[in-house]
Amino acid sequence: MSRRKIGFWGVPKNKIITEYQQKYPESDFLDLCMFYGAKKTTILPDTTCKIISNIMDNAIYFKNDLDCIIASVGKEKCDSGRFVAKILKDMGYNIIFSQNETYNGNEEIKTPICTSNLPLAEKITRITANIIKKDETIYEYCEPKMGFWGVPPNDFGFLELFPNETHVFGWTRCVEAKRPADDELEIYVQENLPTVFFAQTFCNKMQLAKYLAKKYGGLFIDVDDLATNSTKAKIQAYMELG
Amino acid sequence: MLYIDAGTSFSKIMTTNGEMLDKIAPIKINEGKYFYIIPSQNLSELGVLFDAGTGHMSKDYLKNGAKLENEILALAYGIKKIQSKQENLTVLDIGSRDTKWVRFENGKYKELDWNTACASATGATIEMICRFYNIDVKILPPNDEKYPVTCGVFGMEKIMDEIAKTKNVNSAVAKYIHGIAFNAWNFAQKPSKIFLSGGFCENNCFVKSLEKYCAVEKLGRFVLVEGLFS
Repeated sequence: MSRRKIGFWGVPKNKIITEYQQKYPESDFLDLCMFYGAKKTTILPDTTCKIISNIMDNAIYFKNDLDCIIASVGKEKCDSGRFVAKILKDMGYNIIFSQNETYNGNEEIKTPICTSNLPLAEKITRITANIIKKDETIYEYCEPKMGFWGVPPNDFGFLELFPNETHVFGWTRCVEAKRPADDELEIYVQENLPTVFFAQTFCNKMQLAKYLAKKYGGLFIDVDDLATNSTKAKIQAYMELG
Repeated sequence: MLYIDAGTSFSKIMTTNGEMLDKIAPIKINEGKYFYIIPSQNLSELGVLFDAGTGHMSKDYLKNGAKLENEILALAYGIKKIQSKQENLTVLDIGSRDTKWVRFENGKYKELDWNTACASATGATIEMICRFYNIDVKILPPNDEKYPVTCGVFGMEKIMDEIAKTKNVNSAVAKYIHGIAFNAWNFAQKPSKIFLSGGFCENNCFVKSLEKYCAVEKLGRFVLVEGLFS
C-alpha cells in the first residue's frame, strides 16, 4: 500500500511545513508541481501553464492518498496558484494556505547550489528538494560559462543541453536563497554571461523572461509541456553562436 | 560531396566537385555546384545518402558519421558565407512549418529566434490555401490591408469571412499573406532590411507585402545548404 502524502506546491513557510510534518509523521511530502503521469483533467482551461495543470491533475490523481495540501498562495507563487487553491478547497480538499512573502533583508544571500558545477537538472532538483529537507552539503563555486534564468521546468530533458558550469538565476535562485518572493533577486542576472531565460508557456513570468532576455542579450524560450526539437536546437544555436 | 536541407515539404540539395544526381535535373548550376529541389516525400527514390544535412527530414538520408546540423546554425553559417562583406544584417528564413532569423552586428552574432510554439501561418498553410483556391502567388497582387494572423487559425477564419462576404478570394488571400509578412518583420525585430531565405522568395505577394516595412534582398532556397559546406 502506498504511503500517505502531504501535497504541496511553491515554497510554503518552514513553520507550516514543520507543523504538518509533525501532524502526519507517517506521510511523505509530494511536490504537486511535478509531472508523475497523472491523467490530464479538464477542470482548468487549456491555456493554463503546465505547472498549474500538474497541480490540479496530481490533486485529482492522488486524492485518496493526500492528508492535506500546503498551498503557496502569496507573492512567492502566482495568481493561478492562489486560484487553484481556492478551487481545490471548494472541491473538498484539505488546503493549508501559506504565504511566504517576507524575509530578512539584511541576511546574506546564499545560493551555493546555483553556483556549483553540478549538472543543471541536478542543481534544480536539489534546490526544490531543499524546500522540505535542508541540504547540508558543502558546494564548491564554479566559474560560469552559461546562465539559466527561470523556474524549475516541467520538462527537465532540455536542461541536459547546458554545461555543468551553468549558474542558476531567477525564481529558482530565490528558492535556494529562501526568498521566494524577492523580485529584486529574481530579476538579477550576471551581465555579459550568455543566459537562457525560460518560462513555462502561459505563465506570467514570460513577461519578465522576454524583457530580461532582450535587456541582457540572452535567449528567451517558453515551453508548454515538453521542449520541442526546435526549442532544443534554438538553445544549441545560441550556445554555439553566443 | 552531397549536402541536403530536408524540410518538411521540400528538400534542397547541393552537390559539389561536379558531382551530379542522376534521377533529377538541377535547377541551377554554379561553379561546379549543382542545385536541386525535390519534394521531401520523394527523397527515398533518389537512392543516395548525403555527407551533411539539416532540416526535419534529413536524418534518415545521411551517410554513417555524416553531420546533422542544427537549422538555425546552418542558416547563420550560410548567410555568413553568402554575405561575407555585410557586417550588419538580419537573415530571415521562412519554411513550411517555422520561421527563424539571425542578426549579426559588426560581423558578430547578436540575436536569434525561431518560432517553435505555433507555426500555423507559414509556408505549408499558404501553399494549401493557394492550392485550394487555385491562386498563383507569383502574380497575386499584394494588398495594402492585412489580417491579424498572430494566430493562423483566426487568420484563416478572416479569409473565410471575407470570401463569404465579397467572393473576392484574391483579396482575402493577399491580406492574409500581408499579415504573415507583417508578423515576420515584427518577429525579426523590425529591421530596416531583411535578407530573405527560403521558398517565400518565390512568393511575390509576400515579398511585396514585406517591402511595405523594410528593404528585402532575396537569397533563394539554398542558404541553409550553403551553410553545410565549408
